[in-house]
Amino acid sequence: MAVPKLQQLANSVVQGPSLATGAIPTRDWMDIPVAFKAGNYAYPAKKEKVEYLNSQSGLSFPNAREWSPEDEDWKLPAGWQDIILRGLKERLEKFRSLKIFMDCCVRCGACADKCHFFLGTGDPKNMPVLRAELLRSVYRNDFTLAGKILGRMAGAREMTVGVLKEWFMYSYQCTECRRCSVFCPYGIDTAEVTMMIRELLHLVGVGINWILEPVSNSNRTGNHMGLQPHTFKNNVEFLVDDVENLTGVRPNVSFNRKGAEVLFITPSADVFAEPGLYTAMGYLILFEAIGLDYTWSTYASEGGNFGLFTSNETMKKLNAKMYAEAKRLGVKYIIGGECGHMWRVVHQYMDTMNGPADFLEVPKSPITGTVFSNAASTKMVHISEFTADLIKHGKLKLDKSRNSHLKATFHDSCNPARAMGLMDEPRYILDHVVDWVEMPENTIREQTFCCGSGTGLNTDEIMELRMRSGLPRANAVKYVHDKHGVNMLSCVCAIDRATLTSLMNYWNPDVGVCGISELVGNALVLEGETRGELDEGLRTLL
Amino acid sequence: MDLDEAFRNHGDKIVGKWVEYTLATYSSSGFFQRERDPFANPIGGNVREALGKLFPLLVKGAEVSAMVPALEQLVSIRAVQEFTPSQAVAPLNAVKHITREVFAADRERRHFVAELYDFDFAVDLALLTAFDIYMKFRERLYQVRIDEIKSGSHILTDSRCPSKVASEEIQDLRLR
Ligand code: SF4
Ligand code: SF4
Repeated sequence: MAVPKLQQLANSVVQGPSLATGAIPTRDWMDIPVAFKAGNYAYPAKKEKVEYLNSQSGLSFPNAREWSPEDEDWKLPAGWQDIILRGLKERLEKFRSLKIFMDCCVRCGACADKCHFFLGTGDPKNMPVLRAELLRSVYRNDFTLAGKILGRMAGAREMTVGVLKEWFMYSYQCTECRRCSVFCPYGIDTAEVTMMIRELLHLVGVGINWILEPVSNSNRTGNHMGLQPHTFKNNVEFLVDDVENLTGVRPNVSFNRKGAEVLFITPSADVFAEPGLYTAMGYLILFEAIGLDYTWSTYASEGGNFGLFTSNETMKKLNAKMYAEAKRLGVKYIIGGECGHMWRVVHQYMDTMNGPADFLEVPKSPITGTVFSNAASTKMVHISEFTADLIKHGKLKLDKSRNSHLKATFHDSCNPARAMGLMDEPRYILDHVVDWVEMPENTIREQTFCCGSGTGLNTDEIMELRMRSGLPRANAVKYVHDKHGVNMLSCVCAIDRATLTSLMNYWNPDVGVCGISELVGNALVLEGETRGELDEGLRTLL
Repeated sequence: MDLDEAFRNHGDKIVGKWVEYTLATYSSSGFFQRERDPFANPIGGNVREALGKLFPLLVKGAEVSAMVPALEQLVSIRAVQEFTPSQAVAPLNAVKHITREVFAADRERRHFVAELYDFDFAVDLALLTAFDIYMKFRERLYQVRIDEIKSGSHILTDSRCPSKVASEEIQDLRLR
């Protein structure tokens, strides 16, 4: 009997016709074309959304059309290469960081194995250094002397349709999480390279619907969901009813109230979708407990800013509405809820785009008198900073046993952790409200692993891709689940609350997902409450 | 010297080659093989752990139910990567060939190649079970997708105006 040779089996495994990333690369990366097939790309933006955005002042979204990444012809506009190269030139002049990132990589490889997309796929083009190289190769070709003379020998290549398709594939397999930048000795931020690639793609009408539709909704009604003011108000009021049913105390809320001390802004997902709803109930309970003079806005009804994933102009425009609303209402400052990328925009870009917000006051807690001088310019304080300060001054009555059905762990969301350095406040709060443990050291704080679905990649048509890019995160959760019986993954990001829920449902179905404020709301003892035994805290069905 | 001794003697080597073979199905297998921290290298770590647990079970011809956790650890990952179903489970089969190669290279134990029927049978069972597990995780993936669509986050796109939907829902409640 002939024994099949191991090599034959190996061939059938690694050389199968439909295997896109399994093959051992025998060719230079530049020679391996991308192949789009259902499941490995997000749907392109709908024509009418692009048309609408293009009609808006301050925005430019040309070349609206029907197209599919699977088609050979992407219906690019005439002269598209020039458009891209001119766009690149402009950006090199405008953003010093881009020029530096293009020039100073020494290809040391320190970043190569730090990206969750690489770790989950093994695809070399998901190494941050190669991802940036996709743009850098074109930069070299057209903007450096060596590239002009030596061409490919200097790692340069021409802008072709193949390159453009590669840009689309890999700039949408990067969640702009910045983990790679933590390890780069030169501080090269590949996330910003991805942002530039996405901007350039928009110049020729290449973008995805899951980002542009929320952007157009936000531009139109103020939030991703496209909720109109009355619906937004109704939803918050439903939550007020829920809190009253559970605790016997009806939180006081107001909308668009001029002269309130504080404007509160959170991602709209918190008032619309599970499990964010429970986080929103936590906010309501907290503000009620301390009698905060605050208002919600039905116009600035979204903390999230998908403009960050689109272009700098779009980001600026969506960020501006929060400040315009704060000005209109005459509040003193803004408290921001548990959002991820909102904080990156506020912390890193707001000041140069729309700031400083001189018409507001430096946030000062009316309860403790603490001045949040870290927010002196943006005038926006994070709910976790605000809450941790209340706890520190003993202003909250907390009953940790109300969370005794939970054993929690904490996921540092990329943006709060790496873009604003918010790492200790959530942990301080957790210490006071729940029994919890840390995940392994190289998966938390600055080194945290992304949920795998950030930057507008949280769309269901790429679920498999999301599950593999989320593997490094899920793997660490599994470890604390198996070792310590963890059954709740807490975080301070609304996108995470949605995406980690799906990630856990696949990898660790026994682990739920919550916001920190849900745990706070659950542990808070309210004056006059008539709360019974709530086995599952705010999630208990009465 | 018996077959058990042969497996004991060459077990680590066989598992090592098996892990290497499995990781070679990924493009950048060098890193997956080199990095030993399971959190810095989840694919490498899980493959190494799963195959390390599975091998002794195959050797002793354990119940299929005992093999399930290790098979799940391996297959849940491959079920969401860009493999066809057969490619996802094929590395399991490789252990038969690797074992033969390792035994054949050992002059003293070469003759045990003829005694591998039970071992082969255990691998076959594991492979069949792996197909079931593969399907289980594919179905779980579809369910995750459906749950997400139902959770309301789909309202972002592909839906009618949510304000309209919500007001209709309120109407419905009133009518009830
Ligand atoms: S920013 Fe994050 S997703 Fe993008 S290349 Fe770096 S590590 Fe990968
Ligand atoms: S770590 Fe920095 S310098 Fe090194 S390869 Fe990556 S981007 Fe280039």
